[in-house]
Amino acid sequence: MTSREKVRRALNHQSGPVPVDIGSTGLTSMHVSCVAALRQHYGLPNHPVKVVEPYQMLGEVEDDLARVLGSDCVGMKARGTMFGFKNEDWREWRAPWGQVMLVPKGFGPREDPSGDVYVFPEGDTSVPPSGHMPAGGYFFDAIIRQEPIDEDKLNPADNCEEFKPVDAAEIAHWKAELTRLQGEERAIVGGVGGTGFGDIALVPAAFLKHPKGIRDVSEWYVSLVERRDYVHQIFDFQCEVALKNLETYANTFGDLIDVIVICGTDFGTQSSQFCSPATFADLYAPYYKRVNDWIHAHTKWKTFKHSCGAIRPFMNQFIECGFDILNPVQCSAKDMEAPRLKADFGDRVTFWGGGVDTQRVLPFGTPEEVRAQVTERLRTFSVNGGFVFNTIHNIQARTPVANIVAMVDAIRDFNAGK
Amino acid sequence: MPLLNDLTAAVAAGKRTDTVRLTQELLAAGTGPGTIVEQGLVPGMAIVGEQFKKNEIFVPEMLVAARAMKEALKLLEPLLAAAGIMPKYTVVVGTVQGDLHDIGKNLISMMWRGAGFAVVDLGTNVPPEKYFSAAQEHKAHLVGLSALLTTTMPAMKETVKILKAAGLPNTKIMVGGAPITQAFADDIGADGYAADAGTAVDVAKKLVGEAA
Repeated sequence: MTSREKVRRALNHQSGPVPVDIGSTGLTSMHVSCVAALRQHYGLPNHPVKVVEPYQMLGEVEDDLARVLGSDCVGMKARGTMFGFKNEDWREWRAPWGQVMLVPKGFGPREDPSGDVYVFPEGDTSVPPSGHMPAGGYFFDAIIRQEPIDEDKLNPADNCEEFKPVDAAEIAHWKAELTRLQGEERAIVGGVGGTGFGDIALVPAAFLKHPKGIRDVSEWYVSLVERRDYVHQIFDFQCEVALKNLETYANTFGDLIDVIVICGTDFGTQSSQFCSPATFADLYAPYYKRVNDWIHAHTKWKTFKHSCGAIRPFMNQFIECGFDILNPVQCSAKDMEAPRLKADFGDRVTFWGGGVDTQRVLPFGTPEEVRAQVTERLRTFSVNGGFVFNTIHNIQARTPVANIVAMVDAIRDFNAGK
Repeated sequence: MPLLNDLTAAVAAGKRTDTVRLTQELLAAGTGPGTIVEQGLVPGMAIVGEQFKKNEIFVPEMLVAARAMKEALKLLEPLLAAAGIMPKYTVVVGTVQGDLHDIGKNLISMMWRGAGFAVVDLGTNVPPEKYFSAAQEHKAHLVGLSALLTTTMPAMKETVKILKAAGLPNTKIMVGGAPITQAFADDIGADGYAADAGTAVDVAKKLVGEAA
């Protein structure tokens, strides 16, 4: 059975070996430091790792490492980054923690004597920076660049600058990616952007030089209550653009990809939600449904929704909106226990994640604890398919390599029937 | 007093314009600024905290309510200062070194302000010595540490260790943030932990010796 067949069986809720995703998307991968540590552990060629997603500082899981880790999925590489510069013209950079890695030319960065690191939208140092990694940090956060808000002059179009028809260069990039992946036996995961409604990571628009509209995170949340029509108008516009672009992507990708990442908007906190089910029904569900319905009517792709946190109250709504896959399945959040999730929703949605807790067990537990949790989750989630093993969100910096190896070994042993 | 009850309801519902109008009307009617805070705003934010704990409202509604309260406090604070009315308790709060996330910290700060605490907000990426000097300077009853990242949990541990070693006998330390648990709080020697912004008020009151 090929990796792709394993994934397809799981997505069709058929039992079989549990497929694994480590590294196919910016939501299912790992910090660049972990990639380097794993390469060293497994004796793979020692070269600087590419930072393929600079916001979270995710490292490229190259084919040789993916094989060792047993990953059954491969991602289409994005052309652009969260900071608007392109993933091209790679050069070496030594990070504050001493690791030499490859970063795109546009990454810059500006490094202050204090140890703080700044990156700039589109790599343009003539405008204020949009990303900040504090001294001692391992990731960037978006710098909020909110212009003063004049309620009378607020224009939803200002929040729509980033939603554009796909251009020829972008299509050429994706075609090149498909060529690269020709003959691939793993499941192919695509993510084209533009379908994430209200993703709080994207609201500050770290990729824009001069973001306009509502770009402050708190101000955005306030807008969900006080300026709901404004938000609807943004989503309406975004949805129209997305549907047109999906047509182009469907013509380009055909059936060559298996899964498409739709949206990373987080609806859960550790112990609650960011909105009520009623707000979800009014503000988000109609747009998600249109996107999912279009994809299901015109392609064979399975749609992938990411949301951290305690999202049990939204599970039925996610499914009714047409999402096929849920990630990262944060079992450590309130009411998200694996057995209950599987029992209540496991026949209607594929859990792509939930494999191991990246807040406690993986970074701070022992290899034995990691093995025990991974094995327990595999037993729980794998019944009748509907499960692709992935950690709960990206593997964080400072995670001991022995723990990641324990996770990989536990999956391999489970699938071998040990 | 009906107007105070109306003010409580306006804050709880996040009605900013009504909150400001009612505060002005209460002042014009001769109600003292301390009474307006204690009997109008604080009960309003207490309702918000309770509703948040019960998942009846969420982060956006809480932010909207806090904004309404803030507008009222803009009117009241100069009058409170002029009358020599000071909050009974002071909290120093910040997100630990290496961590730039502030939504959780801001929500908790708003709820503490809404409970009548003076809040000194040190912002994000706060080194241990800054917590210490602010706690000393403001004679803080409580220091609140927030962290969102697993990678900054060690910084929280280090900060608690330094604050404990520095000797602030009258200052309690409280921690919170997505990856933080009661077990972790106990392990690093924090005096208190709260899982959400509503509970944080109850825990803070207990720590400073005020019945929650």
